[in-house]
Amino acid sequence: MENNLTNLCKLLRYFVLTSTTKAGSGHPTTCLSSIELLSTLFFGGFYKFDLQNPDNPNNDRLIFSKGHAAPLFYSLYAAAGVLNYEELLTLRKFKSRLEGHPTMDFEYTEAATGSLGQGLSIGLGMALSGVPHVFVLLGDGEMAEGNIWEAMELSSYYKTANLIGILDVNRLGQSGETLVGWNIGSYAEKISSFGWETFLVNDGHNLSQIKKAYKLAINSNPKPKMIIAKTVKGKGVSHLENKEGWHGKVLSEEKLREAIKKLGNVDLKLRGKIKKGDWVNG
Amino acid sequence: MLIATRQAYGETLVKLGTKYPEIVVLDAEVKNSTYAEFFKQKFPKRFFECFIAEQNMVSMAVGMSRMGKIPFCSTFAAFLTRAFDQIRMASYSKANIKLIGSHCGVSIGFDGASQMGLEDISMMKSIANSTIFYPADSISTEKLTEIMALTKGIFYLRTTREKTPALYNENEIFEIGGFKIHKFKAQNKKIIIITAGITLFEALKAQEELAKEGIEVLLIDLYSIKPINKEKLLLELGFTNGKPFSHKIITVEDHYFDGGLGDAVLNVFADIPNVAIKKLAVTKIPHSGTPLENLKSAGIDAETISKAVNRLI
Repeated sequence: MENNLTNLCKLLRYFVLTSTTKAGSGHPTTCLSSIELLSTLFFGGFYKFDLQNPDNPNNDRLIFSKGHAAPLFYSLYAAAGVLNYEELLTLRKFKSRLEGHPTMDFEYTEAATGSLGQGLSIGLGMALSGVPHVFVLLGDGEMAEGNIWEAMELSSYYKTANLIGILDVNRLGQSGETLVGWNIGSYAEKISSFGWETFLVNDGHNLSQIKKAYKLAINSNPKPKMIIAKTVKGKGVSHLENKEGWHGKVLSEEKLREAIKKLGNVDLKLRGKIKKGDWVNG
Repeated sequence: MLIATRQAYGETLVKLGTKYPEIVVLDAEVKNSTYAEFFKQKFPKRFFECFIAEQNMVSMAVGMSRMGKIPFCSTFAAFLTRAFDQIRMASYSKANIKLIGSHCGVSIGFDGASQMGLEDISMMKSIANSTIFYPADSISTEKLTEIMALTKGIFYLRTTREKTPALYNENEIFEIGGFKIHKFKAQNKKIIIITAGITLFEALKAQEELAKEGIEVLLIDLYSIKPINKEKLLLELGFTNGKPFSHKIITVEDHYFDGGLGDAVLNVFADIPNVAIKKLAVTKIPHSGTPLENLKSAGIDAETISKAVNRLI
């Protein structure tokens, strides 16, 4: 059965907002811009992972290079049914497995992230080690890190067809606009000049546009791939959308209640299925 | 026979490559200096040229280690410091990576100050759960490199540009936390020199010269800078609980004064009263010249060590 992506996106928004408000800190707005991109990856049949066997060498791999989107990272596994909601609400607590930025305490974390600019290199190392597909979620702010471009160049040199970056261009950094704001063409120009195949998504919240990009990007052309999606930071909560001054800030209890009301009906029992690789050979 | 530890490292990698198929080697385009090229020649598919991009190299190794590989990454000790943040993050990823910094210290000589790794021990010492080896000769390099392959975690091997004579034999045991004692009669434990790597040979010369003057000093090759087996070291030095400890210690290292081997030794004796420790280390910015000119100028050569001992007695 096909997963209901629209409802899963609502559920993910609910998870991200409630867990960060409960924690009292965190980065919900940066999670909200990536929800459609990641929900489609996970539950749209593109990401192949055997949740019961995380060490299966036939699993794809995912790195959240923008590690501050950790609440979304954990929420995805909650939506996949391997992390219960009660535990999700322990986010950022002293004895919780769910640290403010991903660490190895959580079994599905592949590498600790949160110091920006390193995820693509980690993904490249995995891609060169025989992983079917490695997906790396990148923030637009971290594109200013030189380390990213080192990884770009070497991936191209090694023709890593199985390395797929997902660049979330939500325009805003921590204290203001990024270097090129919403100019996704500028990223496409730079990244393709490094020898990558690029795929533009003009609306990073439009599920059919996102699906189309993944379909095109998962191919065997001997080049690394980058999906470049224009998104809205804080998407789904009207007073947060595309607003400066909300990086690393959470909703108050009162604002949370309003935001949840606006999400409409959220099916809290809904869970999505992640496909296992067809090539699983036991 | 004289062999540089960096070359011994390269030769060892080739031997280990057959024994451990998970080993992969990454190098930041200095493979003919670090001798990682030996591995490339034997196992071209398991060698990854990373070009001059050290940060990317270290994070790539983290990804590879996650997939069960044992990555050995080499570059000049000086340039590895560029990837400090990536190494720091590797510790939170619980990565199994092996870092090799060659051309450490002022003893590289001619290439000048900017090329001398003088901050590398300090950097690696500050990484949670890291292990630091600084071998002086080819045998210890070989043995310690194999320990790195066999043991999970972040390891740093500090190798030297200059050729050095063999000190140890094939049957000797090297271990994490270990050290080697070089002594004449073992009677006098009053003055102890603790050092490692290239300055061990300067200290050996000083020890010999001092013996001619009738001054015996105990010399320790502290090849495992982190961790140090404190109990074993104290036992070896004759320290037992309740007994006053009147020994005098001189540390010698081809590294800046702060955060190096001397500080590691200070930490061992931090809670022991009445221990005098004199640190000999690099305290000023060095300059192009011969290795010996630089060792002398930094005050970590045999003559300066002898003088320091004479001042203590």
